This record gives sequence, structure tokens and C-alpha cells, in this order.
Amino acid sequence: MTDSYTAPVSDDRADLGTHGRELILDARNIGVDFKVEGGIVKAVRDVSFQLHRGETIALVGESGSGKSVTARTVMRLLTKRARISPRTRITMSGKNIMALGDRQMRKLRGNDVAMIFQEPMSSLNPVYTVGQQICEILHLHNRMSPAAATARARELLEEVQIPEPDARLRQYPHQLSGGQRQRVMIAMALANRPDILIADEPTTALDVTVQAQILNLIKDLKAKYGMAVILITHDLTIVRQFSDYVYVMQNGEVKEHNRTEDLFAGPVHAYTRHLLASEPRGAAKPLPEGGETVLEGRDVRVVYTLKRGGLFRPNFMDLVAVDSLSLGLKRHETLGLVGESGSGKTTFGQALIRLIANNGGEIFFDGQSIHDKDRKQMRPLRSRIQIVFQDPYASLNPRMSIRQIIEEGLIVNGIGATSAERVEWVRQALRDAGMPDTILSRFPHEFSGGQRQRIAIARAIALEPEFILLDEPTSALDLSVQAQIIELLRKLQDEKGLSYLFISHDLKVVRALCHRVMVMQYGKIVEQGPVNDVLSHPKTDYTARLVRAAFDIAA
Amino acid sequence: MTSVDLEGKAVVPAKPETIADEIVVSRHSGDESYLNLVWRRFRRSVAGMIGLVLVAMLLIMAVFADFFAPLDPKLTLLPYGPPTTLSFVDADGTFSFRPVYYPIVETGEFDPITFQPLTGPDLQNPKYLSFFVRGWSYKLFWVIDSDIHLFGTADGGPLNLLGTDKFGRDILSRGIIGSRITLTIALIVVALTTIIGTLVGIICGYLGGRVDAWGQRFVDLMLAFPELPLYLALATLIPVTAPSHLYIAFVIGVLIVLRWAQLSREVRGKTLALARIEYVRAAIATGAGDFRIVARHILPNVMSHVIVSVTLSIPAIVLLESFLGFLGFAVKPPLISWGLMLQDTNTFSVLGSYPWILSPVVFVLITVFAFNALGDGLRDAIDPY
Repeated sequence: MTDSYTAPVSDDRADLGTHGRELILDARNIGVDFKVEGGIVKAVRDVSFQLHRGETIALVGESGSGKSVTARTVMRLLTKRARISPRTRITMSGKNIMALGDRQMRKLRGNDVAMIFQEPMSSLNPVYTVGQQICEILHLHNRMSPAAATARARELLEEVQIPEPDARLRQYPHQLSGGQRQRVMIAMALANRPDILIADEPTTALDVTVQAQILNLIKDLKAKYGMAVILITHDLTIVRQFSDYVYVMQNGEVKEHNRTEDLFAGPVHAYTRHLLASEPRGAAKPLPEGGETVLEGRDVRVVYTLKRGGLFRPNFMDLVAVDSLSLGLKRHETLGLVGESGSGKTTFGQALIRLIANNGGEIFFDGQSIHDKDRKQMRPLRSRIQIVFQDPYASLNPRMSIRQIIEEGLIVNGIGATSAERVEWVRQALRDAGMPDTILSRFPHEFSGGQRQRIAIARAIALEPEFILLDEPTSALDLSVQAQIIELLRKLQDEKGLSYLFISHDLKVVRALCHRVMVMQYGKIVEQGPVNDVLSHPKTDYTARLVRAAFDIAA
Repeated sequence: MTSVDLEGKAVVPAKPETIADEIVVSRHSGDESYLNLVWRRFRRSVAGMIGLVLVAMLLIMAVFADFFAPLDPKLTLLPYGPPTTLSFVDADGTFSFRPVYYPIVETGEFDPITFQPLTGPDLQNPKYLSFFVRGWSYKLFWVIDSDIHLFGTADGGPLNLLGTDKFGRDILSRGIIGSRITLTIALIVVALTTIIGTLVGIICGYLGGRVDAWGQRFVDLMLAFPELPLYLALATLIPVTAPSHLYIAFVIGVLIVLRWAQLSREVRGKTLALARIEYVRAAIATGAGDFRIVARHILPNVMSHVIVSVTLSIPAIVLLESFLGFLGFAVKPPLISWGLMLQDTNTFSVLGSYPWILSPVVFVLITVFAFNALGDGLRDAIDPY
């Protein structure tokens, strides 16, 4: 599929003048260049959008599409290396933002426009209490007395529905959960009743079940204050349920824009169609009856001992990360292991392949017991058990070339007698993983996230394993890349007869890839069964919440 | 490149993500090696480039010190002779194409108060500066006999551009030759502390557990020593009559013992983080042994930190040497070092009358600046990914 559609995108909205709302932000021809090594990168080119009071517009695109840069241009929050094109015109409530001085801009930020970011931990200052940080904003913009500011801060926390607002005011950011921190950020953004709220991937760093709560909160507050919201996201499910109007961005340009219903009903541009088609779909092929068991765990237990108290009164506490869990995986089967972050699914998975020591239970691989083997004794089995990690940026050594990365396992396991023979294995693995075999002497930093994940998969399959532990291999990737990786994993399973243990929090991907699924919470399995049964008739509340979060955010 | 920061997000379009099944390998550059990338980033830093040029010049000067020094560093002339000034205009006011100077000689008169012999330029005897002249003989690289010098006077007459010290020896020549000892001390100390510190740091950080606990307590102990008093105390252990080479070896040994701990602590921290990173776990999952993981995965990723630490600790040792030399504890004559030369400046009245004996400070200053600037530039450039 290529970008054959090149008709210019009109600057004016498709629903111009049909809803009769007041126009509060009119951005025309936003252009931003970044000076980089060896030239200029045009991050944003001729992006125009309009925002009316009381509506939500969504800027959608994959990473690198320029959506965040566009939003930051509106706030004038770009770094010094950015150059804003002279054609850029941004009019906010009749004021031309590009002509404002730094002082006026500071007044505008927070008063008229506010922004919340993806990572609520790094947006809050860890050394001040939540109350101090909210009061600071109130004081800066409104010159409130300390007592009045505290009272107002409490009101704001109530509005963002944080339980026990009085206690929270005196707490530090690290004492709050991720969702609560994002609520505090929203409270701070609302402190001066802005007209426009820019939400830059507000829920990407949060657990799936918290995501819905935060988005609903933003929606309620928007209605209450009559704000307009610019929602920046890559998640089409969110867009569909929370925005009125969508701008689809790619490579710094708006490719298509339309009312949400119209866009989803009839995408015009090839890229939009491509995005919409990227939702994980399909299902795993049915398993042949009575396959042999490849990996089996019985009552596997992993306990972390935490030390509390001081040197003289130590108080040891056991955190049971994996609480006597059992699991059996058949040949050719894909077993999904799902749960929120902190549910112990990664620990369980890595304990099963002996990357983390288990404190009890038995593990068998292909009939052999492996729970009693140490690292040296495990080595002969390593080539048959492989792992693909979540973060393709951390799982490839930046100082090694692609050839060295993939070849390492071959050298260690004595596969291939000569260097030439090994290179042929490496090439074959790269081709199997859908990468060209000409990249042997390149380094990981030259590749995008999806390409890196393919290289990590090539490293795993080069050893011709029987079983691969897939530890959230798609969650760090863009949607369309995610779909490709799922397709690749399915193809490899078919061709090579692999068994997968697939760890994920995203039930959409699990549905597309797995035969069976186990749902984990607090180190325990709360539900398990064939994937369709569990997803369509969840027995526990927890599973039901996960399912709703994945398929139906607003519910 | 992470996509968390704004810059990162903006840069990504240069490497288009794949659409459908077509693989687009990044457009940017072909096969660029690690060193190329570092060099490209390093060139952007002006201070770093100045530092690099100065360091290169310093090293060349140290290696070919005899060639650059115009006079024999042991030759004694007039004590505390002032620096000679070069001029293109001679005493009668006529222009001379070659720089001319008048050697300082005793005038035969005495100061009426102190009865010190008075000195002044010998106007009858103009000397002309020449390049590649024959002068005192030396052995290049300890083997090749030579007597060619970069500059001097054609007849080998005294040329004291920075004046002379209390025995009448040329300060410029001694400074150039002294760079050898000073830089040698710095390089040996830094090389050995780096090796020891890196090894201890990696062993502690990688093995962890009890080895780490005891290793780091030992490092704590080393770091807790008050460096200077301990150094002075140790310096008294060696007999004053010991040969100067033995003395300098002892100095180097003490400096190494006192200085490896800091780097080992930094390396341990980096190793701790690296040992838990996913590519190391992936290597364990392919069955790699400890040695391979340390050699292929941890060491190369710690090296950038170590290299920067090396360039930044060389000036520290140069400064320490000059300080200890000033106190008389670093280098014994007849060896020459900058610190030893500065020992002459410890009397205030002498310093007031003959300020040029402070000029070794300029050598130290340039060296410290050069290595610091190089280190700063390297620090910004060395992690291009």
C-alpha cells in the first residue's frame, strides 16, 4: 500500500458553520523545523486546525507524525532548536499568539490554555506536596491568600474525584498511584479555568483500566466548564469515543480531517484507511488435538523479601509476586498471560524460563525438570527456549552490530562451524523476521522501534527454539507496526511450529494471537480458559474490567 | 534514540516507519561506525576541539622535548636573569627582518644599596633568532644522536625567553623538558587507576551480593582517607637519600593507591544498571557465560564513561603533582617537573623581585584547560545513540 492519494487537504473544517459554536482557536499553516545533525527535519508542515468552544478535537498519528510538536507550538513550548515557520498564524480568542511576548505568553499559559502530559510522575515535582504545587499555581496567576488557595486546591481535588482530598493535599507525588497523579495534573491544569485543555497522550502511561476513568473525567470536566479539548493520541478507540472531530497526521502533515463518525465510516485517505485497518484482528489457528506439553509449571512461587525499618529493628516482609501458579503449554499453542502492571505476569514468565529464580514449585521443559538446574546446567537448554522483550530500545546492545547481536547465540551454543556458515544462519533469521539480510553491519540505533523488534525476534528464532516467551512484544510499538508484528509471530508459529507464552495487558492483541488465556491479579490466576470464552463471558469483575478497557473504553 | 523527549519525536520522520509490508531501512547514512559518529559530534564542540589540538601539541612537545627546548636545562647562566625580549627593531632603531635580542649580561656595576651585581642588555652584541639551529646535543628517543633545535641563536648564545631560575637555568627549556615527568606521572597514575577501578567496579557490580558489599566497604575505607596528610606521611617513609627514580615510582604508587576507588564506585553503579538491562538478560537467555556478558555487553557500554573519566582525571593529577612538587614531595632533582620548578617560588621576596619564575604555572594552566576541554567535548560526544 502506498500513498497514492495526494489531493490537498482543505484548511477549513468539513462541518464549518453547521454547529454554531464559537471559534476559540484557529491555527493556520503551522510549520516547525528542527535543526539536527546534517540538516533540517521538517517536523510539522502546513498544519491547520480549528477548535470551537465545548468540543474535543483529536490529533491522531503514529509516533513521529508531529502531533505533539503541533500542540507545543500552540503553547509556544518548543525547544530552542525549533524554528517556527513565518507563515504560522495561531489566533486564540482574537489574539495572535505568534506576536505575543514571553511575559504575555506566560500569562496565557495556564490561564487560557493548559496542558497535561503523558508521564504524570515527571510532570510533578517530587520534593513538594501535591497541595503546595496546586497552591503555587493559584498564587502565581491569581494572587490568592494561602488559606484561600488551600481551600480552592481542596475543591479542585474534589472535582477530579480523588478520594480523601484533605489527606492528598499533604502527600507527595510518589505516594499517589499513576492514575491519581494524572488526576492531580488535571486539577492543576483546571486551576485557572482555562478555555482550552491540551491533553498529550494523557493515558498512555496508565493501566488500561485506569485509562477509561481518566478520559471520562476529562469529558465530564469539559462539559462542566465549557472547555475545548485538544486530545493527542495514537489510540483509535479513544478517538472514536471521546472526540468530535479528528485530524489524522502523518510525517508532519494533516492527511485527512473530518467529523469522527464520518471519518470512521468513510476514510478517504490511504493512510487513514491503513490506520483503521491496523487494529489487531484475526484469531489463532485451531490446535490439533492432543499435542504434547512443552512447558509445564507446577505451584511456581516467587517471593521477594523486602526490608523495612532500620538497621537495628529490621522488619522483613515477603512480597509474593507469583503465588503457587501452575501452567501447561502444548506444542504449537499460544497461551496469553494478561493482567495489569504489577500483577506478576512478567515475573511468572521469566521464572518459568529460569531468568528469575523461583522459591518453590516445579518446572518441566519437554519432560525435563529445569527448576533444579543452575545457570550452567541450563545452558544446553537455552537455545530451545527464547525470549523477546517489551522494549526494543533496551533489548539490543547499542554497541553491537546486527550481525554480532544475532550471531552471539550461535557462537555461544556452538551452532555453525565457520564464520561464513553462521552468517548464513543470521541472514536466514533476518529474512524470516521480515528484515532485509543486507543490514548485518548496521547498529540498532539506525532502526525504528518496529524494525528493532523484528531484529529481536530474529535473534530469538536464529537458535531455532521450540518455545518463545513474548514479554509484551507489541506494547511499545505503533498500532500499524503492532499489526505487522502480530502477523509475523503468527506466520513464524505456523512455519516453525513454535509455542508461545504471550504476556500482555492488551486483550485486543491477545484475542488475535492466543488460543488460551490466563488472567493474573496480585500474583494469582483469577481466571483461565479458551480465549473466546474468557473474553466474551468473563467470570470475574477484574476480567470484565480488562475486557471493557480494551474493547469499549467509555463503558 | 528514545521517543520520550520532544526532539526525539521530531527527529523520527527522518526514519520512516514501515507501512504495510514494505520495509524502509533508515534513510540516514550508510554504515557509519561508532568512531565516525563520535567524531562528528565531537567536532561540533569548539572548546573540545581546542582542547584536542592543545593536548596533541602538549604530547608532541613532551615527546620531542629536547628538540623544542632551546637550551640545555642543566646549563647555568646568570641567576634570576629576566626574560629576554625579541624585537624586530634593533638598538639603533633600524628594522631587522630577523627577530633580534640583546643578551643579558652583568654590567660590572653594583647596586649601591644591596651590592648585588647589576645586569642589563649587552647593546654591543646583538643576536639574531634562527630556526633549526645546532645547539646542545641530546639523544632522540634515547638512541639517535642529534643537536638540532627548533629555534635558538646561530652561535648557540643564551636565549632565555622566560628568564632564568635561581641557578641561572633557562625556565622555558626546563618547562618543556619538565612536561615529560609531569605528564608521565599523570598518564601512568591515570592508566593504572583506571584499570584497577574499572576491574573492581565491574566485579562488584556484576557479581553483587557479598562480594559487592565487602568490596564497596573497602572502597568506602579508601575514599575516607584524608588524602593529603596521608600522602605526606607516606612520603616521609622513603629515605631522603633514595635515588630520584625510586622516589618517583613511590610517588606514583601512592597516588594510585589513593585514587582508584572513586572510579570503581562510578563503574560499579553503571554496571549494576547494565547487569539488569534487557540485552544482558537476552544474552543470558541465549546461554552466554559471565565472561562473555562482561566482555561483550557490559565493558563496551561502561567504556564511554571511563574514557571521559580518564580525560578529566589527568588534569587533577597534574595539579596534584604541581602542588606536591611545590611542597617538595613529588620529584627530586636532577629530574625536572613543573611542580619541582614551582618550589622555587615559595619565598615571597624572591617572587616579588623575579616574578618570571612563576611561569611554570602557565604550563600547568594550559595542560589542565586542554584536558578538561577535551574531556567535556568527549562527554557530550561519546554516547551518540
